[in-house]
Amino acid sequence: MKKMITFTINGELRSVEVEPNDILLHILRDKLGVTSPKIGCERGDCGTCTILLNGKSVRSCLMLAVEADGQEIITVEGLSDDGLTPLQDAFIKHNSFQCGFCAPGMILAATELLEKNPHPTKGEVKEAIAGNLCRCTGYEPIIEAVLDVSSQSN
Amino acid sequence: MAIAHEFEYFKPESLEEAVKLKARYGDRARLLAGGTDLIVKINDELESPEAVIDLKGIKEMKRLEFKDGRLFIGPLVTFSELIDSPEVREKFPLFIEAAETVASGSIRNRATLVGNICSAVPSLDSGTPLLTYEAEVIARGEDGERTIPIAEWFVGPKKNALKEGEIVVGVSIPEPPKKHGGCYVKLGRYRGEDLAQVGVGILALEGNEYRVAFCAVGPIASRADKIEKLLQGKKLDNGLIEEAIKLVPEEIAPIDDIRATGEYRMHMAGVMLGRGLRAAVARLNGQGPEYGISVI
Amino acid sequence: MSQANQIKGKIMEELKYIGKSFPRIDGKEKVTGAAQYVDDLEYGPNLLHTEIVESTEPFAKIIKIDTSRAEKVPGVVTVITGKDFPYKFGLYMKDRYIMAQDVVRFVGEQVAAVIARDPKTARRAAKLVKVKYEPLTPVFDQMEAIKKNPILIHPDLGEYTHVPWFYPKAKTNIAHWKKVRLGDMEKGFAEADVILEDTYHVPRYAHCCMESHIAVGKLDQADRLTVWSSSQSPHTQRHLFAEALAPLGFTHKDIRVITPFIGGGFGGKAGVTMEILAAAFATKVKGNPVKVRWTRAQEFYNTYMRQAVLSKLKMGAKKDGTITAFEISNYWDAGPYVEYGANVVNASGLSAAGPYRIPNVKIDSLCIYTNLPAAGPYRGFGYSEMMFGVESHMERMAQKLGMDPVEFRKKNAFKGGDLLVYGAPMNANGFDECIDRVAEAIEYGKKAVSEDPNKVIGKGIAGAWKGPAMPPNASSSAFLKFSEDGSINILVSGIDMGQGYLTVMAQIAAEILTVPVEKIRTENPDTDRNAYEWQTVASHVTWSCGNAVKRAALDAREQIFETVHAAYLYDKSTLYLEDECVKCTIDPEFSLPLKDFVIDGIMVKDGTFRGGPILGKGMFMPEFSSTKSDPETSQGGKPNVHYTVGAGGLIIEIDKETGKVKVLKVAEAFDVGKAINPDLVNGQILGGFMQGLATALYEDMRFGENGEILNPNFTDYKIPTALDIPDEIIPIIVEVPQNDGPYGARGIGEHTMIPVMPAIANAVEDALGIRIKSMPITAEKIAMAIKAGVKEVD
Repeated sequence: MKKMITFTINGELRSVEVEPNDILLHILRDKLGVTSPKIGCERGDCGTCTILLNGKSVRSCLMLAVEADGQEIITVEGLSDDGLTPLQDAFIKHNSFQCGFCAPGMILAATELLEKNPHPTKGEVKEAIAGNLCRCTGYEPIIEAVLDVSSQSN
Repeated sequence: MAIAHEFEYFKPESLEEAVKLKARYGDRARLLAGGTDLIVKINDELESPEAVIDLKGIKEMKRLEFKDGRLFIGPLVTFSELIDSPEVREKFPLFIEAAETVASGSIRNRATLVGNICSAVPSLDSGTPLLTYEAEVIARGEDGERTIPIAEWFVGPKKNALKEGEIVVGVSIPEPPKKHGGCYVKLGRYRGEDLAQVGVGILALEGNEYRVAFCAVGPIASRADKIEKLLQGKKLDNGLIEEAIKLVPEEIAPIDDIRATGEYRMHMAGVMLGRGLRAAVARLNGQGPEYGISVI
Repeated sequence: MSQANQIKGKIMEELKYIGKSFPRIDGKEKVTGAAQYVDDLEYGPNLLHTEIVESTEPFAKIIKIDTSRAEKVPGVVTVITGKDFPYKFGLYMKDRYIMAQDVVRFVGEQVAAVIARDPKTARRAAKLVKVKYEPLTPVFDQMEAIKKNPILIHPDLGEYTHVPWFYPKAKTNIAHWKKVRLGDMEKGFAEADVILEDTYHVPRYAHCCMESHIAVGKLDQADRLTVWSSSQSPHTQRHLFAEALAPLGFTHKDIRVITPFIGGGFGGKAGVTMEILAAAFATKVKGNPVKVRWTRAQEFYNTYMRQAVLSKLKMGAKKDGTITAFEISNYWDAGPYVEYGANVVNASGLSAAGPYRIPNVKIDSLCIYTNLPAAGPYRGFGYSEMMFGVESHMERMAQKLGMDPVEFRKKNAFKGGDLLVYGAPMNANGFDECIDRVAEAIEYGKKAVSEDPNKVIGKGIAGAWKGPAMPPNASSSAFLKFSEDGSINILVSGIDMGQGYLTVMAQIAAEILTVPVEKIRTENPDTDRNAYEWQTVASHVTWSCGNAVKRAALDAREQIFETVHAAYLYDKSTLYLEDECVKCTIDPEFSLPLKDFVIDGIMVKDGTFRGGPILGKGMFMPEFSSTKSDPETSQGGKPNVHYTVGAGGLIIEIDKETGKVKVLKVAEAFDVGKAINPDLVNGQILGGFMQGLATALYEDMRFGENGEILNPNFTDYKIPTALDIPDEIIPIIVEVPQNDGPYGARGIGEHTMIPVMPAIANAVEDALGIRIKSMPITAEKIAMAIKAGVKEVD
């Protein structure tokens, strides 16, 4: 049974028709053209599909699309109205990605952390991104980028 | 991979409505809170419910409240909300220490405590703190409400004490009667996210009172009665710890699986019990490692 | 020296773009979500979806496949079985069909495919395909597979097509047997004062790219086949598709492979694996694109995971530390299809004695068929696997001799010009400097004591080397074109799977043409448009494609000078480039911006123009490489173009009760010839170290009785998280130039993973006195060994 759902995605209210068994990640990618959340493991282990749901990082592979009805979603496409956020700049400066497949999810997880805790310790940064797997960088450059942003903010 | 299995989706706005739906579908309906477990199971075709009842429309299920010496946790309260609650952290530090080891931050932003205990896997991190804090599970069915002591809640691997048609409406945890220190020790294959291969939850209360529970080393998470009996009323010292560790094989029955052998689990349960007891007592006395710092 | 040459000479000395850590040119795309991977591209509303029916048997005859019920499901377009495509494919050894024909040889092998309008229908219908098997007796262990009168996994092996440097043994399970013979083994061992003999085991591992394999194929109405694939090898894919699908009338010109960004490779996306399915399926659904995307579980089963190896080593050495003889037998469990994996066995076989000068060497490297999933290339290409045994053995031999393990390695290490075991000369290299600097960084030899009585500290070190494993004529080429503003597009076909290739190519062109890096784009491959590249494997593209891009830039520069000469009549030898302008040594006033003429040319007095669009091209093929050698000894030829050497060292702390290992400090040093972008080299060291550490401590693939993988997911195949990194990691770059590399550069990428496993094992022994001879070294393995009081663990 199809259902029309409406939610805010990157600041825009959009409606889409979904079935109860549709996964949010697939709807974002295939129906709305929001492709920064990636298909990585589809069981919540890797974090490539991370989105911000009402400001909190969640796995869009573990959500039914119908659950998004009435919610607010942000992905990296919608992080900034103009230019890059300081964190995105820091990711480029520190080579905090290689293949780039984990980067959208990683940036969202770190963005959530910095919102909540603008001056995290190294341990807190590690903990915050621990659910986002990266096979390329060895994580150190990602942690450096987050700490760099932290040190530059008041 | 798309979910091929089809089901009906309901999002009731009242508990009554939810109870009715659950009564109508019985075991053919699954309740959806955070979904971090259920969606994986449906995708893997381990579960094929006819109906999914999303509880997130029921406001009262979001209740997290400390009142009259008891903490009430509604079915929609996520692990992140528990961790972020200063009151829970202050009054139930063991609970927070265990909650912080559940999966990762963005899973904890969705996953709920009630969902965790309903799935009742032997390795559940919330099991040992709930057992040692002597929580109660409140269930509602068409015939009304009943309270199930947590010690009777886990009835087998992935099996809980709910009757068909019942819904958990909350978990209630009494504040321990005395000052306490706790320690949750979790064995994972590395420091990152993992399912517990052994979990030990310990509460040390003033007056040499101890509560000890294990998870992932038997079909269900459970209290270690013999160890508690040995420890009761005694001041912790190396000799007592040695004696307690000797009792571990009588308390647990770990199996071999791909995560660890039973032999290693048994060995580690002893090591973890010893270190956990020391840390819990030290924390009771305002010393020891901060909560959240693993002793293994 | 003329004034012109003096000025030019000065400019050549001062490298402006080479050796500088420019930010990655793909950075903005990757941090904004703009970077598109295969699954992010739009294929239109007629895109079809695929669900594969996989074998549930490890080894069986297919008696019957009943697709009738699946075909009737509304929304199903077609159901395909192996018989639809009775064609073989393979890079080095054609031992594999597009899908199983009459026999399945591992659990997970593709048996049938349902193609449907939507993924849900495909999944539902696939469950209705019924396959009847007649089981055969499988063999999962490579040592079992080579016993007398084995069950033959490929009874027709003797008739298979393969490259000339492979030696399959018909009527056995040995797909390739690489032999190296040097000197006189009997004499070598007789000269030795100490002989050490032991066996080491490295199991299978998975690449775990974050992006799983994916390919979309489309045959249009005019019979043009386009395949979008997440691949390290678009041109090789086009070639293999053309070969495999030749019976359907396809030639190279009919096929186009497009590779956008890829989400990691690590060797797993080298050659062709599942992409052949998308190419083949497209031919059955003309006009409709068809997508094949692997689930995470399929990613474990149905790409090439890493081969397991059992290494039997026997080494003899004199009291003074001279190694006199080294006998090596590496038995590789390669799975049932070795079309790529046999070359891992071949390449690592040639180098299996390590970076050491030994007069008497006997190497046998055997590629053995088994009924576990097909295995093949993975970062290190056999060296990560076999160097565990070599560097464990080196450490133990040093101990037996009472020598400092660093000195022992240096004493025997190849110097530039030394003859390798197959007779070709070794390149100049900085092995000694690498190992010295690593030893210094971790204060090797200085005992450290933990503050925690439950814990002990150990230090370990290991050497590493690796040469690019590639055919002797593997080549790269490049086009370079200007736009009106003087910006540049470089059209090459290497893959930036994360290493920073796009940026490094831009830096090389920038250096020659004095155009800033930010004005250069390096384009992802499209076999219709971009210049040829063999594959992005073997850590060779910086070296090989870097040479091609350099030549393309020089070609463009020559055209620029020609144009200026034609318009202004300056002698070409007086012209040079500086800050995006052409300048002239004999006319200091002359300065012509590139943007003024690189498209439009230069107008001369009569209003006509000289020049036109500048279009550089460059090619590089190593004309000195050869695989021609004696099959019984491997003497002759020059199969490796060069070796990159290095070393790794680490300090670990072990909890004696739990067995848990914490890495306190790491140093890795590699001789990269010239670091064109030092930050990117450091990125390879950090990432490669972590990937190696994961294989040493955490990743632990398990198989069930049927050869099925018990943990094909990240829940139980543990790749490290941010919480599992070392406290400190020190990347060290050593630069002994490679004379035929661009600006002296040689490859770096795979190498950084190689020293980690043996360094961990050596550190564990240093800490505990326990020698562990198999991987991985899990906490459980350590704790149980301590508990049992053993000194060695097999």
